[in-house]
Amino acid sequence: MAPGTPACAGCPGTLGMRLALKVLGRNTVIVNPAGCMTLLTVYPYTPLKTNWVHLAIENAGAGAAGVKAAAEALGKDLNVITHAGDGATYDIGLQSLSGAFERRDKIIYFCYDNEGYGNTGFQKSGATPKGSITTTTPKGIKAPIGHVGRKKDIFSIVVAHDPEYAATASLSHPLDWMRKVEKAKEATKRGPAFLLLHAPCPTGWGFDSRFTIEYARRAVESGAWVLKEYEKRKGTTITYTPKKRIPVTDYFKGQKRFDHLFAMDEMHTAFPHEVPEKQMEAEREIHTGRGVLTELQSEIDEFWNKAGNQDDERGKSSNEQCQQ
Amino acid sequence: MLTGNSAIAYGAALSRPKVIPAYPITPQTEIIESLSEFVAEGLLDTRFMLMESEHSVLSAAITAEQTGARTFTATSSQGLLLMHEMLYIASGTRCPIVMANVSRGLSAPITLGADENDILGQRDAGWIQLHCETCQEALDSVIMAYKISENKNVLLPSMVNIDGFILSFTREPVDVPSQRKVDDFLPEYSPETMKYDANVPISQGVATIDGISYSYFRMQHHLAAMNAVRIVEKVQKEFNDAFGRNYASVEQFMMEDADYALMTSNAITTVAKSAVRRARARGEKVGLLRIRLFRPFPTEDIINACKGLKGVAVLDRNISPGAGGIMLPEIRSALYDLKEKSRPIVCGFIDGLGGKDVTLDEFDYMISRTKKAASDGVGVSEIISTKKQDDRARMMLSEARGIRKTKEED
Repeated sequence: MAPGTPACAGCPGTLGMRLALKVLGRNTVIVNPAGCMTLLTVYPYTPLKTNWVHLAIENAGAGAAGVKAAAEALGKDLNVITHAGDGATYDIGLQSLSGAFERRDKIIYFCYDNEGYGNTGFQKSGATPKGSITTTTPKGIKAPIGHVGRKKDIFSIVVAHDPEYAATASLSHPLDWMRKVEKAKEATKRGPAFLLLHAPCPTGWGFDSRFTIEYARRAVESGAWVLKEYEKRKGTTITYTPKKRIPVTDYFKGQKRFDHLFAMDEMHTAFPHEVPEKQMEAEREIHTGRGVLTELQSEIDEFWNKAGNQDDERGKSSNEQCQQ
Repeated sequence: MLTGNSAIAYGAALSRPKVIPAYPITPQTEIIESLSEFVAEGLLDTRFMLMESEHSVLSAAITAEQTGARTFTATSSQGLLLMHEMLYIASGTRCPIVMANVSRGLSAPITLGADENDILGQRDAGWIQLHCETCQEALDSVIMAYKISENKNVLLPSMVNIDGFILSFTREPVDVPSQRKVDDFLPEYSPETMKYDANVPISQGVATIDGISYSYFRMQHHLAAMNAVRIVEKVQKEFNDAFGRNYASVEQFMMEDADYALMTSNAITTVAKSAVRRARARGEKVGLLRIRLFRPFPTEDIINACKGLKGVAVLDRNISPGAGGIMLPEIRSALYDLKEKSRPIVCGFIDGLGGKDVTLDEFDYMISRTKKAASDGVGVSEIISTKKQDDRARMMLSEARGIRKTKEED
């Protein structure tokens, strides 16, 4: 990937692909569903020194399968990798992802997860964690915490297809990422591989673009984003355990999408008599900002305590792996 | 003796596609079943992909062609509609896919019977459309479609249409050409630029955010489609030379001294031809025009066939609710600029929706009603059926409401 792509400053999606391409080389076709990465190529320019195709939003899996089938039929050696956002993967593209994995098409499905529909201005997706503000889950009297739903466990869904290989990764551990890309490439000699890269998004999450890697690190060190891998017939193993986990509030702090969780509580403590009656009622039904943060911390604690007690997670996600 | 579906499967197999993405839907499933049998028996060397939806079928077909492989698929009705978004992407990226559509009326209400709404509804998607009357034509058209689509001055995808049930499951005598003869006629697909090569990396389907490059590419697309009119003729002629079967973009039947013409497409044409023969036997100067090529629209052929006629009766086995048949305005528009004395009165008749039968009596009516319209000097547009069919409908409505009426009460 050449420098000068028209992506946001500090974008982890492009960084992830740039590193992946160092592993995959020029004999590659990138299949891109609609998303932030679509705008890497704008006629008449492309930053890619390898092949690329843009299709639609919901068919990265099917498109990648088609390239692979044609390559095999023509006797061409091509690495096929998608460059898909979470919206195109968790939601609208789930059908075609599932089909490709069920058929065991020899592709790498690479999803960069910035926990929302970034390209359209950051709306809620199936990957949006509880408590996140997005433009379609704004905060208001009836919706004090923003998004009330939970982040879908896409990793477990993929693992349920018994892929050749699947892994989560983060750019705070770039060598780990590249090692996992290498393992995925090797795995596609036999079947499909899935790579889920956490992608802290300065534009969508609301932080300065120089902190992308810092937030990636905090997500991993708080235990909210678990680095793990699944290998066919071996099950899931955690590839990195933080020695001493930092509190999840350290990860969430400073991101505009979570600011309100901290403010709500402060507001209550400081001026309880000024909080309107309606809002108090609404919050009793859902959660307070502190409630969301506490709930999340205890889920993370529970997961890591369990993980410490067993080596093999065998694809069992459970809701504790909130990956938030 | 082959069914329409089998004929298409043979035509596809003989065309040696390297990739076939597939998904079942009535009434085309037999096509992909046949192809899967050919593959299982080692008769067809192809990558057969069983996809999870028609949208994914066309997505995979597009990227397979973009990788440089000749690709075939088939669908119908709801499946075709599910592909709708991808149809535009297939033609916009200039993929020479050939796809068979086995026409079936659209839900809702859900039906299995044939009509033309599914394929005609895709007329603006930028594909070439060939509509077949016979099983032989279906087999031949798949082979011809590859030669047309892959022509360097076209590079557009094609649909080959047959009527569900009426043709798809009807056996007719079909001459299956030898593989060698087909190979001579249809060479291997060899794309110049649309393929992946490590030494010549390309990015395909890129964004054209400004209106200027978008418009340019869409113009190119349109020009390619216009080129296709004469390429279709050229390939039809070459096919006749190689295989001895002649096809015309607008077929003329008993038109030599005709004053009036029935205009139809697809398999119902066979019934319409019988109506024409009957009319001729009665001494009426009636002929028939069959639309085989619908997109690109064969304007010149229509003008040449219709100018000087007194009247044309267009059968629309489709409907655009709130406007009428789809074919009627296309014909009228093509003839609009003819001088008044050579411009026929054009009438439209909507019939045969959802597989409803179109009988000889109804064709007789279309002819006579058009004659009257011609002498009145004003065209008409009607929805028609027989009294027997209307009675049956009324009976079913009563049944559904739990009312049993006697004939007198009705």
